[in-house]
Amino acid sequence: MVNPLTYVFRPKVTEKFEFSDSELEALGSELKTKVNRVFGHSLAIRELDSGSDNSTEIEISNLAGPYYDIERFGISFVASPRHADVLLVTGAVTLNMAEAVLKTYEAMPSPKFVVAVGDDACDGGIYKGSYAVLGGVDKILPVDIKIPGNPPSPKEILRGIFSLVKKSRYSLSDS
Amino acid sequence: MNSNKNTVSFLVSAGSKSRGNYQIPSNSAALATPSVLATRYSTDLMINIAGKEPKIIKGKNNEFYIPLTEKEFLTTVPALSEKSFVLISLFCVQNFEEDPDFTLFYIFRLDGFTDVFAFMRYVRRETTSIATVFPSACWYEREIRDGFGIEFTDAFDKRRLFLHEAYPEGFHPLLKSFKNGKIKAIKNPKEAYPFKKVEGEGVYQIPVGPVHAGIIEPGHFRFNVIGEPIFNLEIRLFYKHRGIEKLAEGKNPSACIPIAEAISGDETIANTVAFCTAVEKISGIEIPERANYLRAILLELERIYSHMGDLSGMITDIGFPRMTTPFLILRENIFRQNEFLTDSRFMKGVIDLGGVKKEISGEALSKLSLYLKTFVSQFESATEDAHTSSSLIDRFSTTGVLKKKLITPLNITGPIARAAGTKYDVRFDHPYGIYKDIPPERTIKIAGDVLSRFEVKAAEVLNSASLINKLIASIPGGAIIAETTEFAISNIPDGYALSMVEAARGQNLHWVYVRNGLINRYKVRTASFCNWQAIEHAVLRNIVPDFPLINKSFNLSYAGTDL
Repeated sequence: MVNPLTYVFRPKVTEKFEFSDSELEALGSELKTKVNRVFGHSLAIRELDSGSDNSTEIEISNLAGPYYDIERFGISFVASPRHADVLLVTGAVTLNMAEAVLKTYEAMPSPKFVVAVGDDACDGGIYKGSYAVLGGVDKILPVDIKIPGNPPSPKEILRGIFSLVKKSRYSLSDS
Repeated sequence: MNSNKNTVSFLVSAGSKSRGNYQIPSNSAALATPSVLATRYSTDLMINIAGKEPKIIKGKNNEFYIPLTEKEFLTTVPALSEKSFVLISLFCVQNFEEDPDFTLFYIFRLDGFTDVFAFMRYVRRETTSIATVFPSACWYEREIRDGFGIEFTDAFDKRRLFLHEAYPEGFHPLLKSFKNGKIKAIKNPKEAYPFKKVEGEGVYQIPVGPVHAGIIEPGHFRFNVIGEPIFNLEIRLFYKHRGIEKLAEGKNPSACIPIAEAISGDETIANTVAFCTAVEKISGIEIPERANYLRAILLELERIYSHMGDLSGMITDIGFPRMTTPFLILRENIFRQNEFLTDSRFMKGVIDLGGVKKEISGEALSKLSLYLKTFVSQFESATEDAHTSSSLIDRFSTTGVLKKKLITPLNITGPIARAAGTKYDVRFDHPYGIYKDIPPERTIKIAGDVLSRFEVKAAEVLNSASLINKLIASIPGGAIIAETTEFAISNIPDGYALSMVEAARGQNLHWVYVRNGLINRYKVRTASFCNWQAIEHAVLRNIVPDFPLINKSFNLSYAGTDL
C-alpha cells in the first residue's frame, strides 16, 4: 500500500513555467482583493459575441489560458448567462443578433453589469452607418464600462474588468 | 527562381495527362500562353457544344471573362460539371460596364491549371438555378437573392440566407438604389426560419445557439438525432452579418483596407493581401520584392497562430488540458512575436496598397528566426506527446470523416481538404507574390478524419516555420512600398480584378471592381463560406458529444462567412 502523502511530497511532475509579468501580477492581485470583497470571492463572466471580427474572442479566451490564467484572481468564464455577474459583449450589435443579445441579458440575474469590448462594441466602429448594425452595445443594453481597442490586448481587457469592479462597488452599495 | 516554372509545367502536364489525348487547338489569341489551359479547355467544350467560338476578355490577374448568351450558358454548365470543373464563386454585379441590369459571374477552376475563368450571364429579375449541377451554387444563389432580389425560379432552396427575420421582405441591400443607412427592423417577427424537418419514430431535435456555451462566435446548429448518432445537421449562420460588401461601396480603395481587415480577425493578413493584390492589379502597381517577402512572412505567421489555436482547441474538446497547455503557451509567444514585429498582435494595419506600411528591420527578422528555432523544438515535442496518448488517438481517429468525393462539388479547400486526400493549395495552384519563386512544402493525408486534420495542421505549422526561415535567409533589401503607389491610386483606371490567397482556412477569393476611382463592388468569399457545408456532411453518424471536436477540427470563421 502506497502512502498517499508521498504524492504530496514527491517532486512535482509539471515543468516550471518561466514567465513573469510583474504588471499583470500586480494588477491581478489588486483585482483579486476587490473581487473577494465586492463579489464574494468569485466574479462570473459570460462572453457574448454580437458581431465582432473574432479577434476579440481570441484575446478573451487567451485570458483563461496559461499565460494570464485569470481564474487565479477569482474570475471565471461561465457557460450560462444565468450564472453570470458580467456580460462581456464584443462587436457592433448586428440586426441578426439583436434579439439574442437581449435574451442573453434578460436571462442574467440582477445585479448585472455589461462591458463593451473592442472599438466596434464601444460605438459601432467601422460599421457606423451600415444597414446591418444597430451600433455600439449601448444602443441596446446599459453599458457600464467600455474597453476600446482593435482588439484590446488581454491586459487591457483585464484592466477594464478591474475598473468595473472598482466602479460596481459603489453601485452595489447604492442598491 | 526556376522552381516556379517547374511547378507550373509539372502541374500543367499532370493535368493534361489525366485528360487523355486532349489536344491544345489554336483558339483565341487571348489564350496564347500555356498557363491558361482551363479556360481554353472550357472554350473548346463550348465550341463543341454551341458550335461557335465565345468572346474572351483577359482579366488583370490570370483570370478570363467569357460573356455568354443564355442558351450557351445553359448548355455548357452541365458539361463543365461532368468534366470536374469546380465552381469557386458566384456573385452578382449591378450595372456592370453600363449594362442596365445584372451580371452574374460564375467563376470556375480546374484541377492542375493555374488560370480561372468566369462565365458572365446577363439576367434581369429572374433566372434559373444551377444548384442541381453545382451543389455549391445553392448558398451563392440564396446570397444573391437576398442581396439583389433576383429570383432563381427553379431553385430547390429559396429560403433567405444572410437576411434574417429582422429584415423586412423586399429589402435588398446590395441594389444600387439602396443608399447605405439605418433601416426599420421588424420587431418580434412572427415567422420562424423553416429548418429542414425530419420526422419518424425516435427522431428528436437538438437546437444549439446562436449563443454557445464557450467563448466562440454565434451560429445555430440544428441536430436531428436518432439515439446518440447524428442523423442530420443543418447549420444556420449569418448572425454576424455586418454588411461588409455594401460598406466598401463608394469608398476609396485605401479606405477599404480596415474593412478587409475586419472580414475575419484571424485572417487579417490573408484578406488584406488579397484585397490589395486585386487593387494593385487594377492600377498596375508592381510591389517591391522586399514587400513581397514581408507579406509572405506575415501570411505564414498568421497560418502558424491560427493552426495552433485549432490544435489546442481539438485537445481541449476531448478534455485534456495538460496536453493543450504547451500549444497555448507557444501560440501566445507567436502573438508576442507578431506584436514585436508589427505593433499589433493580429498584425492589423501593416499591409497597404503597394506593399507594406511598416518596415521590419533585419535585426527583428533574425530575432524571429532565432525564436522559431526554439519554437520548432518545443512544438515537435508537444505534438509527439499528443501522438503517444492512446486516449487522444482513440477520440481523433475515424471521427468526423470528410469524404473526398464532396470536395470538388462543394469547393472545400484548405488544410481540411488536404487532410482528405486532395492537394489543392492556392500557393501552388494559383501562385501569387513570392510563392511563385519559393513554394512551401505540402502535406497531404487521406483519411479525412479529425486525426488527419490534426496531423495536417501540425505539419503545416512546421512547414510555415521553415518557409519563414527560408524567406528571412534570402530577403532582399530595398523599398517596402512601390514609389508610384500614391499616384497610381489617385489615378486608378476603371477596371476589375480577381485575386486569391491561401488563408489558414483555405482559398479566400476577392473580386474588386473600381469605377471613377471608387469601389463599385467588392465581393469577398472566404474559405469558411464553402467549408461550413463540409461540417454538415462530416458529422453524420457521429455521436453528438463528438460534434464540438469535429467542429473545432474544421475551426471555421463565422465572421468571415457572415460578412
